[in-house]
Order: sequence, then C-alpha cells, then structure tokens
Amino acid sequence: MDTDKINFNELWSGQKAEQPALKDLFVKMNNFKKANRKRIIVTNVLFLLTSIFILCIWYFCQPQLLTTKIGITFILLAMAIFAISSTNNSGLLKKTNEAESNQKFLTNLLAIKEKQQFMQTTMLNIYFVLLSTGIALYMAEYTSRMTTFWAVFAYGITGLWILFNWFYVRPKQIKKQQSKLKEIIRKFEDLQTQLNQE
Amino acid sequence: MAFEDLFKMHWQKIFRLCMGYTNDYDLAQDMAQETFIIVWQQLPKFRNEANIGTWIYRIATNICLRQVEKQNRFQKVELSANLAEEKQADPEPQIQLLYRFISELPETDRIIISLELENIKQSEIANIVGLSEANIRVKIHRIKEKLTRNFNNNGHR
Repeated sequence: MDTDKINFNELWSGQKAEQPALKDLFVKMNNFKKANRKRIIVTNVLFLLTSIFILCIWYFCQPQLLTTKIGITFILLAMAIFAISSTNNSGLLKKTNEAESNQKFLTNLLAIKEKQQFMQTTMLNIYFVLLSTGIALYMAEYTSRMTTFWAVFAYGITGLWILFNWFYVRPKQIKKQQSKLKEIIRKFEDLQTQLNQE
Repeated sequence: MAFEDLFKMHWQKIFRLCMGYTNDYDLAQDMAQETFIIVWQQLPKFRNEANIGTWIYRIATNICLRQVEKQNRFQKVELSANLAEEKQADPEPQIQLLYRFISELPETDRIIISLELENIKQSEIANIVGLSEANIRVKIHRIKEKLTRNFNNNGHR
C-alpha cells in the first residue's frame, strides 16, 4: 500500500492561477465600498428630509392638540429607529475580526448573527407600533374638525392600511429576513460542530 | 512588509486554499481577492504578534468559512470583466481530482488539509484553526487516509 502512496503535496502545488493586477484589486474594493456607503447615505438622507418636512408641518401649521404633537414625535421616532438600526447592522458586521482563529471567529460571528436576528424582529415591531400610533394620534386633531362620516371614513381607511401592514407586510418582512439568517446560523453551528468533533 | 510584496508572495497559496475549498476557479479568484482586500485594510493593525503568513491564512480561512453567508451577496459585486477571462489551461486530471476530493470534504477539513499540503507546520495550523496540535494531527491523518481511499477507489495505482 505504501508503495502506492500518492504525493499529495506535489499534486497540490501543481494548481496554478493567474495573478490579477493589483490595480484590479483596488477597483473592486472601491466599488464594494462605494455601494455600501451609498446605501447608508440614501437611508439617512431620506430620514433627514422627511424629518425636516414633518418638523416644518409642526412649525407652520401650529397644531393645537397635544395628541398631534405626540403623534409627530412618534412618527419621527419610528423613522429614527429604522435609520439607526439599518446603519447599525453594518456596524455590527464591522465588529468581526477576520484575523482571529477560525474557532473564535465562528463563535463571534454566531453571536453577532443571533443578535441581529433579535434586533431585526424587535426593531421592526417597534417601528410599526410607533408609526401606527403616531399616525392615529396625529390624525385626531384634523378629523375632529370633520363631520362624523368623514372622520370615520378617514380613520377607517388609515386603520385598514395599518392592519394590512401589521398582518401582511410585517410578517412577510420578518419571515424574509429570518429565513435567510436562520439558514446562515444553522450553517455556522454546523461548522462549529465539525471543528469540535474529536 | 509592503502590501505589494505580500500580494505577490502569497497570492498563489491563498488561491490554492480557496480553490481547495470551493473547487471553482472563478469563485476562488474572488475569495482570494477578498482576502487581500482585508489584508490591505488591516495591515496597519498588524502588530507582529504572529507570523504574517499565519495572519494572512487566518483571514483567508475565515473568508472561506464565511462563504456560507455570502453565497448570495458578494458574488453579485461586478468583477471587472477581464479578470475572470484569463483562465489557466486545465491542470492535469490528477490535480483536478485532488482538488475535487478536497472540496467534497467537510468545510473545516478542507481548510486543515489545504494548510497541511501547503507545508504549514502543524503548530501553525493549530494556531490558525484554533484547535490543539494533537487534535490537528489526528484530523490530518484521517483526512489523508480518506483522500488516499478516494484516489484508490478511483483507480489510481
């Protein structure tokens, strides 16, 4: 059998590959960075613009009732949470250190993924609750000036929209995020088990 | 050491590691590139606490492990078209077979055997993977047995 021994080392080093130019490497890196930065900037600029717009309403329309002001604050909070959590997600990933041993890297990555899983669902729920309550409160002042029919109509339509979001959009969104994460977590756990097998 | 020298010196090795992991030429090129991007970013933080080769291997192997997560993400980033085109002529069948068998092993075994075949000391491999040296020795022994068996079953003499 030993005479049959295959020289794996020799075969292994027989594999050669074209070395790309250093320039191409940097092009790729910049593209990746740019795409990432753009996404974060777009989210935050959108958030900022909407906030300014809403604050302008507050300033120029001078709402009389406290409910309107609370409503506006809630809506702003909801959007702030959305912007912060989506920016933060990429921050979480930056905490991984690729120069650690595989064992440690996997443990850290798994912890981050689990945190992400929790954050995504919690944040999304808080976002929806705040936004819906905010809108409902905000409307109170203006609907109080309408006839009963139109007030009921306005709340009815908004209520339907909120229910649709809560029972259809939200679970769908959560499911989409979670199924991807769950699969990744399962795979990382599997890798850890492999390492720890004697 | 300057990044350019590191890149020249370690490219082939890192590529082989990624190739053993995926057995996919384009993907391996991609992963090797990603490794060097991170090397470039983190080089200022490197404090000589480890051998620089070990350090690069740690990054590369972690990139490999992370493939799971990126399967639908990183690959979508456009490669400049000419990068992927210049393929090497197909290596001889024995080499192809070895890489195929390695890529069919469990993920962490792929990493361990690739490092071993790259003639990295077992103590260094233990350091990269994060297991004890004794553990690594046992694993290498088993993996080599398995590879030999696969080769023999495939009619190698």
